[in-house]
Amino acid sequence: MTEILLMAHVLFGVACILAALWVFVDVLNASESNQGRIRWVSCLAAVCMWIAFVIGGYWYVVFYPADKGIILKGPWPFAHKYFMETKEHLVIMLLLLATYLPVAAASGNLAANKDARRLVLWIAAIIPILGLVIEGHGAIIAMGVKVALLAKQI
Amino acid sequence: MNAQDKSNRLSKRAVAFGLSFSVCSVVNAILVIAKEKNPAVQSAMQKLTGHHWITHSAIVIILFVIFGLVFSRINIPVNRLLQIIIGAVVLSSLLIIGFYLTEG
Repeated sequence: MTEILLMAHVLFGVACILAALWVFVDVLNASESNQGRIRWVSCLAAVCMWIAFVIGGYWYVVFYPADKGIILKGPWPFAHKYFMETKEHLVIMLLLLATYLPVAAASGNLAANKDARRLVLWIAAIIPILGLVIEGHGAIIAMGVKVALLAKQI
Repeated sequence: MNAQDKSNRLSKRAVAFGLSFSVCSVVNAILVIAKEKNPAVQSAMQKLTGHHWITHSAIVIILFVIFGLVFSRINIPVNRLLQIIIGAVVLSSLLIIGFYLTEG
């Protein structure tokens, strides 16, 4: 069960990153014909982020304390002390940014409005950068558990 | 104001929630430092919802909505808005990363 939750957390996080990238590329080629799709995919990015956040939050509160104990006794305590602590707080900023993306995408006619286009491009660019940083942190946390369990066996 | 300027204006909601995002990002980082440095703050946040992180998230999300509504009368150019948003992302990230690099 915990593995499925973790995989779903990562899956929806990656889906948010991909959706934001899609928005970025679509806005670079903004025209009257892709306005609807840009808004729809912006909403998809926000929904994916909220699902990833809720699943991750539930897992963090309910299941993570056991992993934390394992990590802190292992050779990579920084996987919790730095990486998890940073990730759990940076992700709140990413959640707000992904929530803001559809608001920005609806800020004007993206084909005609240069300012609206610039705003959406920047927001859609920051989300994948921040998202990849957070995904990387998650990978190191998982490695922290793995090396701790391996060290226990040896 | 000419027609070109008018067509390039952002919606009030986009400006308001952009500013709200910026303020809440910084509040998020300040809240991290406050609860980690002050056990009483962390304990109070823990008591409120059962977990300090849930309280932390709830405070920031609720403030995002409130500030988004409060800032709806502010109108600033997109360049200024982008400077504020990017500045807030960089500042908040540096505060959080810097704090845990030095204190973690």
